[in-house]
Amino acid sequence: MLELKAVSKWYNIGGNKTYILKDLDLVIREGEFVSIMGPSGSGKSTLLNIIGMLDDPSEGYHYFMGKAVHLLKEKQRSQLYKQHIGFVFQAYHLIDELTVYENIETPLIYQNVKSSERKAMVADILDRFQMVGKKDLFPSQLSGGQQQLVGIARALIASPRLLLADEPTGNLNSKQGEEIMDIFKKLNNDGVTIIQVTHSEKNASYGSHIINLLDGRIQPS
Amino acid sequence: MAKQKVLAFINVMGLSIGLACFSLFLLFAVYQFSFDRFQTNAADIYRVVEWWQGLPGREPGGEAYGGTPLGPAMKHDFADVENAVRIQTGFDEKFIRTDEKTIRSKVSFVDPEFFSVFSFKLIRGERNTLENPRSIVLTRERAMQLFGGTDVVGKRVDIKLEKNFEPFTVGAVVEDIPGNSSINFSILGSFGYLMTTDMGKESLNNWHMQIGCETYVHLRGGSTLVSQPARLAQFRNKYFPDEESELKKDGLWDGKKPYPASFRLQKLRDIHTNAHIEGMASTIDPKYIWILISIATGVLLIACINFTTLAIGRSAGRAREVGVRKVMGSGRRQLIWQFLAESLMLSIISAIISVFLASVTLPYFNAMADTNISFSFAQFPELAWMLLALTLLTGMLAGAYPALILSGFNPIQVLKSKIRLGGSNLFTKSLVTLQLVVSIALIISTIIILQQTKYMRSKDIGFNKENVVVVDAEGSDMDRNFQLFKRNLVAGGKITGVAGSEMGLGAGTGLMGSAFDYKGETKGIIMYPVDAGFLKVMGMKLIAGRDFDPTLSIDTVSSIIVNEAMLRDFNLTTGNAIGQQLTEKQFGTLKVLRVIIGVIRDFNYSSLNEKVRPQIFIQPASLHIRSLFLRIKSGEPSRALSSIEAAWKQLTPGLPFQYSFLDENIDRFYKAEARWSKIVGAAGFISIFLACLGLFGLASLAAVNRTKEIGIRKVLGAPVGSIIQLISKDFLKLVILALVIATPLVWYFMNRWLQGYAYRIDIGWWVFALTAILVLLIAFATVSFQAIRTALINPVTSLKSE
Repeated sequence: MLELKAVSKWYNIGGNKTYILKDLDLVIREGEFVSIMGPSGSGKSTLLNIIGMLDDPSEGYHYFMGKAVHLLKEKQRSQLYKQHIGFVFQAYHLIDELTVYENIETPLIYQNVKSSERKAMVADILDRFQMVGKKDLFPSQLSGGQQQLVGIARALIASPRLLLADEPTGNLNSKQGEEIMDIFKKLNNDGVTIIQVTHSEKNASYGSHIINLLDGRIQPS
Repeated sequence: MAKQKVLAFINVMGLSIGLACFSLFLLFAVYQFSFDRFQTNAADIYRVVEWWQGLPGREPGGEAYGGTPLGPAMKHDFADVENAVRIQTGFDEKFIRTDEKTIRSKVSFVDPEFFSVFSFKLIRGERNTLENPRSIVLTRERAMQLFGGTDVVGKRVDIKLEKNFEPFTVGAVVEDIPGNSSINFSILGSFGYLMTTDMGKESLNNWHMQIGCETYVHLRGGSTLVSQPARLAQFRNKYFPDEESELKKDGLWDGKKPYPASFRLQKLRDIHTNAHIEGMASTIDPKYIWILISIATGVLLIACINFTTLAIGRSAGRAREVGVRKVMGSGRRQLIWQFLAESLMLSIISAIISVFLASVTLPYFNAMADTNISFSFAQFPELAWMLLALTLLTGMLAGAYPALILSGFNPIQVLKSKIRLGGSNLFTKSLVTLQLVVSIALIISTIIILQQTKYMRSKDIGFNKENVVVVDAEGSDMDRNFQLFKRNLVAGGKITGVAGSEMGLGAGTGLMGSAFDYKGETKGIIMYPVDAGFLKVMGMKLIAGRDFDPTLSIDTVSSIIVNEAMLRDFNLTTGNAIGQQLTEKQFGTLKVLRVIIGVIRDFNYSSLNEKVRPQIFIQPASLHIRSLFLRIKSGEPSRALSSIEAAWKQLTPGLPFQYSFLDENIDRFYKAEARWSKIVGAAGFISIFLACLGLFGLASLAAVNRTKEIGIRKVLGAPVGSIIQLISKDFLKLVILALVIATPLVWYFMNRWLQGYAYRIDIGWWVFALTAILVLLIAFATVSFQAIRTALINPVTSLKSE
C-alpha cells in the first residue's frame, strides 16, 4: 500500500544538518496494523506526518497506493490524503466551536460531499459509535475518551483505507485506552490499514507488527 | 513577541490619532467659547438688545441695533449703568487717504469711554483721545499699512465718509484685535464726530432711526438690572410711548399675551455663540460646535474601542502571565492595578504623541475650518486639564474591562491553557460594530455633503457667471464716466460687454426692497437698478417681452423687467404679464407707475439655501453705479484685467482698483458646505482608518487564536480559500451588520440636513451601495491579509505546540 525508500528528514541548525529521520526504508501492506515505537525524539511523529503527507521528507521516495507522492503537487497530494487517509491525534484536535455532529461532518465538507449524503454518513457513524445522543454537544462537554471517539469517528467518516494515529490513548486512562484499541482492532479486521505511534507495549501488542525507531533509523527486530 | 509589538503600536498609534483629532476639535470648541474672555470687564459688560417674541407668524429673535439716543438714556436712567458705549460701524468700506496712499477700510465710531469699558491694549496715545471729535484710533495693522510704523500719533488721515474727504488726526494706536473678539475694528472715530454728519444729525433724538449702532453697557458691580425685566420694560415704555397702541392697532398684540417687544441685556460672552440675535459680530450656532465635538468623540471612541478590544485580545497571550503571577501570590487588586497602570501608560504616551500630531496638523485644520487658532495652553488653560482628564479617562476606560477580565482568571485553568479569549466575544463584537457604524455614517455623510455642494455649484443659476469681472465702483465718478469707460474697454477688444448696477450680484452687498402694489395686493420685491446692457452682459435669459432699449426714454421712467418668481407671486403668467401695470410705493405717499416690458428666467443671486425671490429690474436715468460687471473673453483674464485697470486708472485717478470674479463670489456662498465636507470627510477618513487598524489587530488575534483550529481543518483537507473565507466571514458579518444599522440613521439625519436647502439633491441608494462596497472591500483587504498568512502555515507546526 505504501512504500518509503531512502527517506531522510533533516533540519539545518546552525549550519549543521540535524537528522530526524535517516535513510529510512519502509513497506506497509494493505490490511496491516503497524505500531511505531521508540523513545521521545526518535522521529516517530515525523515519520507518521510524512506518511500522512502533512510533512515533506528532505529527500527520498514516497509511494502511496501506486502513486509517487514525492512527485505530486501540493494540491494533488492534499486530494490524495483527503480521500484515503484518516488522522487520530493524542490531543484529539477537535474544533471547540463546533458540535460533535459538525466536527465529524467537517472532512466531508472539504471533500465536497452533498449535504444530504453528509447527513446520512454522519448519522451512520454516530450510530456505529453509539453517540447519537451526544451529537449536539460541544467537545468541552465530553470526557477525554468520548472526545477521542469523536476524533476517530471523524477520521473514519470518509472511509479511509489508511488510519494514522499519533498516540491515540496518550491522554486517556487505561480503561478508555482499551476501548479505543478494541475499536482499532475491529477496524483492522474490517480491512482498514492502521499505523499507530505508541509508547505502550500493551497497545503495540494489538498490532500485527512493530517498528522500533531510534535516532531516526529503524532498528532491526 | 513581534506580534505583541505590532499590536502595541496599533494601540498607541490609533489612540494618538484619535486623541489628536479630538484635541483639534476640542481646541476649536474652546476657541469658539473663549470669545471676549480677554475683556477684563467681560462679566459686567452687556449688549442692549431689542427682543421680539410672540409676533404672529414670526420666530422669536432679537437685534442689537438701536437708535443713537439709547446709550445716553441708559446711562441717564439707570444708576447701575456705569458707562454706556455706542459702536457704529458702516456696512461699506470708506476711502482712507494719507499723503502717500489711499486705501479702503471700514470705519467705526465709538463713545470716548470705549477704552475704559473694553480692554484693548493701547500701544501709543491716550485712552480718552476720542473725546476729541477729530481724533481717530488705528490698529497696529492699519497703522503699519498706512504709515509703515506705529509711532504715528498726531499724523493726519483723510477719510471720505459722505461726499468729501475730512481731515482727522491719529490720537492713539492699539494692539491688533485678538481673533476671538466680538468687537472688531480697524479704524475708530469719535461718536461725537459721527453726530455732526448728516446721518448723525438726523438720528439724534430719533429712537426709530437705525444707523447700524450697537449699544454696550458696563454695569456697576452688584447690579441686578439684568434680572429685573420690569425696569427695562418701564424704560422701553418711557421712550416708545406709542408702541403699545400701534401694535394693538396693527393686530400684532392683543393686550393679553405677554408684551412682544422688550429690551434685554445680553452678556458680552454670550454674543459669539448666540445666533438668534442679529448684530455686527460674527456668530456661530453652538449646534455646529457640538456636532463637531460629537464627530470628534466618535473618532476618539473608535480609537478607544481599538484600545480595549486589542487589550482584551492580547489578554489571551497574557493569560499565562496572570496565572503565574496568581500562583506566586499576587492578589486580584494588584493585578487590576497593574493592568490599569499599563493602559494608563499607553494612553499617556499616546496623549504626548497626539499633542505633537495636533500641533503639526493645526495649520491644515485652520485652513479647513477657516479659523486662525493657535495651540496654546497659555491662551486656553482649560485645554490642558481637559486633555489630561481625557487621557486619564481614556486609559481607565480602555483598560478597565481587560483588567477586570484578566485579573479574574483562574490560575489553574489558565496554566492548563483551557481559557481562550479571542476578541470574539459579544462585547468585543458590539464594540467593533459600533466603530464601523460611526465610520460608515461619516463616510456616507461626506459623500452626501459633497454631492449637495457640487449640485449647488453646478446648478444652472439662470445667468452666465463665468468670465465676469466685478469691479467695485463705490465712491467713484462712474455715474458720469460710465459710457466713456465702456467705449474705451469694448474698443480694446478684450472685453465683450460692460454693465453697471447699483447693487452687487452675489457679492452680498445687501439688497433693496420696495413695496409694489398690483390690483390691491402689496408685496415687497427686490429691485435692481441697472444700465440698459445689464441683462445681456450677464447672460440672463429673456423668456417674454423685450430688454431695455437705451433709445427709448420711457424705459428710464416706468419700464420694468421681472423674473418668474415675481409672476408667481402676483399670479401672472409669461403669457399675460407683458403690459401689466403695478404701483411702486416710494417714501411717504409718493407712488410710481411701473409697466412690465419683459420677463426673465429665475436666477439665483445668492446661496441655493434660499429660494429665488421676486425681483425687478429698472433702468433709471440717474443710475448710481456701485458695481461694474465686465464680461471678458475666456482664456485671457490677466490681459483683460490689465486693460480694465488701465481704463479705471485713467478715469478715476486715486481710487484703488478692486475687482473680483463673479464665479468666485458665488462659490463663496458654498464655503460653509465646502468646509463641512472637508471636516466631515477628514473625520470619516480617519475613522475608517482607525476602524481598519482595529480590524487588522482583531484579525491577527483571531488568526493567532484559531491557529490550532486552522491546523486541524487543514489536516482534514481544507483548501486555503476556505480558511481565508472562514476568518474573513466573521468580520464581514460585522461590517454588514454595521451597514444595516448605519444606513437608516444616516438617511434620517442627512435628510434633515438637506431640508435646510431650498434646492437640494435626493439621497440616492447608490451612495449607500457605494459605501457598502467600499467598506467591505477595505475590511476584506485588511482581514484577508492576516487570514492568508494564517492559512499558509503548515498544520504540523501549528498542531505541534500542544
